[in-house]
Amino acid sequence: MFKTHAFKTLTAISLLVSSTALWIASPAATLSAQGSCPTAKSHYKIGFANLAAGIDFTTLVQQGIVANAKTAGVDLVLANNNLDGATALNNAQNFVTQGVDGVIEFQTDEAFGNVIMNLFQSQTPQIPVIAIDIPMPGATFFGANNYKAGRMAGEAAGDYANAHWAGKVDYILSLELPQSGPIPAARMQGQIEGVQAKLKTPVAADHILHLDSKNTQDVAFKVVSDALSKIPPDANIIGVEINDDTAQGTAAAIEAVQRTGKAIIVGQGAVPSGQAEMVKPNSLYLGATGYFPEKYGDKIIPAMLDLLNCKPVPPAIYVDHVFITKDNLCQVYPDGDACKTLQGKATAVATAAATASS
Amino acid sequence: MIEQTITPPTERAIGQLKINPTLVLLMAFVLMCLIFSLFAPGFFSINNLKTISNTVAEVGITAVGMTLVLVTAGVDLSVGSTAALAGVVTSLLWPNVLPIWPAVLCGLLSGLLVGLFNGLVITRLRINPLITTLATYSAVRGIAFIITGPQDNQLGDPSFEWLGRGNVAGIPASLIIMLVLFAVFYFILRSTRFGRNLYAIGGSREAARLAGIKINVHLLIAYGVCGLLSAFAGLISAAQLGAGRPQAATGLEFTVIAAVVLGGTSLAGGKGSLLGTLIGVVLLRTLDNGLVLLNISSYYQDVARGAVLLLTVGIDQLRLRLEKAAAARNQT
Repeated sequence: MFKTHAFKTLTAISLLVSSTALWIASPAATLSAQGSCPTAKSHYKIGFANLAAGIDFTTLVQQGIVANAKTAGVDLVLANNNLDGATALNNAQNFVTQGVDGVIEFQTDEAFGNVIMNLFQSQTPQIPVIAIDIPMPGATFFGANNYKAGRMAGEAAGDYANAHWAGKVDYILSLELPQSGPIPAARMQGQIEGVQAKLKTPVAADHILHLDSKNTQDVAFKVVSDALSKIPPDANIIGVEINDDTAQGTAAAIEAVQRTGKAIIVGQGAVPSGQAEMVKPNSLYLGATGYFPEKYGDKIIPAMLDLLNCKPVPPAIYVDHVFITKDNLCQVYPDGDACKTLQGKATAVATAAATASS
Repeated sequence: MIEQTITPPTERAIGQLKINPTLVLLMAFVLMCLIFSLFAPGFFSINNLKTISNTVAEVGITAVGMTLVLVTAGVDLSVGSTAALAGVVTSLLWPNVLPIWPAVLCGLLSGLLVGLFNGLVITRLRINPLITTLATYSAVRGIAFIITGPQDNQLGDPSFEWLGRGNVAGIPASLIIMLVLFAVFYFILRSTRFGRNLYAIGGSREAARLAGIKINVHLLIAYGVCGLLSAFAGLISAAQLGAGRPQAATGLEFTVIAAVVLGGTSLAGGKGSLLGTLIGVVLLRTLDNGLVLLNISSYYQDVARGAVLLLTVGIDQLRLRLEKAAAARNQT
């Protein structure tokens, strides 16, 4: 009797142990372990809502994300926020409808950040979000260290003023994007403070003109044209820019009134159109802090996969910035068109010099 | 064929009125200039006059075409997209495919084609102009994005840049071109049968049809011209900026419609003048300029622009009502 009972108990224990071992080794065990990570899956669908189409910066961001998603075997659903908060919200709703596992948001309207995040966080499981350049509450931030990036450009402009204008700067034109809130504003603040920090006599507050560029060349051209009317012709001007597009608009406006000898521009981005502006003959565009949008995808997709697998990800991931001028352009972008233009010019100059000496 | 002797309604109105509406607008403009001269530093200066002159052409040239279309009781929302497309087409063709001026011609042609497409859809398929041009507004911008891709679209040819940045005896070339276009189309609208027919179509399409006017041909030409002029405006902007970009001229349609309506052209058609449009264009541009010089926040600038439009059109409506009431009293 005892033996029978002991045998039954032993059999039950061994069955329990063996079934536990089998369970641990089985796929079911893996699923159970993922129970603590509700977003973990073997295959992911990720939504990417880009800021806008047709802007060099955003095109490069998208290309990098698409390439990395392909390499990682992730399905990507693309959308265009078209620089508009309401459109971004519609896109977010579409992402939810399409059952994406994670979202990469690049949207400009800070006011819509809460609404969009509420939508993603109200899903079961919550949809993890990475916000590019414009932070959203509860999302992992990826992008520029805006103040630092701005400061680098501002200091370069200040150094130029010290070297060429004996430190005399009369006006700063600050081409901004107020609708996007405090983070891009930090970029502008960094630029202005960078200039001021380098000057013995800082520019008076009422000579710093804050202009709403609406993030476009056309508007930058018009508002700078207007602002130049109240700046004396002999004034030294520094333009600090939210991006390369507005830098080009500012340059065009200054060139149109032939005030090129007394103005320089620094900006943010250093995308191909900005690089092309830098290498133009007698360019006003001294340089721009590089954000390397083409490399955003290299960090964003792995970070998103970590988020989905419940691995630790820092709340903010920053880009490594470099201030790019025509002097270091070919080191940073050796294969870029602008570098080829520069090298073409250098070759032409060398050939002309050789011809002249012979 | 019934001979047309239709006088543009604005002229009729002017003939009956003691107060010329264009004069009212002009007075509002002068008053605005006075206020800015007092309070906005740098406003009353030759430099600022040059600035305004240099940056008014894009809206002005597009407004010429828009006036033609609005007079027929139509509308064209695709002008901004068409302007962007023309710049993109030109910048893609130059310098690798074509020399600059043939490339510019292709840019203009793209605008003409968009305009003719609008006209054909409106006249042949009888789709409402608002819907038709809303569709092309979106589609044409999309095409501009598709064909340009991530390429850099520099347009740095000096002879082309002259269009946007050049001067003739100190006067911006773009301003001269705009004024010439205003003069030519002012003559066409006032003094040719084609122009008078456009007013007749806008005033009453049925009456125009009974009068033997070929409505479809006239509308096709009006939309074609509007597309062509939008493309030209886009090229002038591209010449100023030295680049053709698909996102250029965003929102141009609303600025242009505001300027034309401000100038006295009725959205219901049959009424309007290019002189009024010219003043409307200059008034809006001067308003923007003055507000920037006053360092007023861009949000308030948007509000001010809307307020001026409402106020001016509202005053004009009030004036018309008072005059109608006076005419009714006289009849009794």
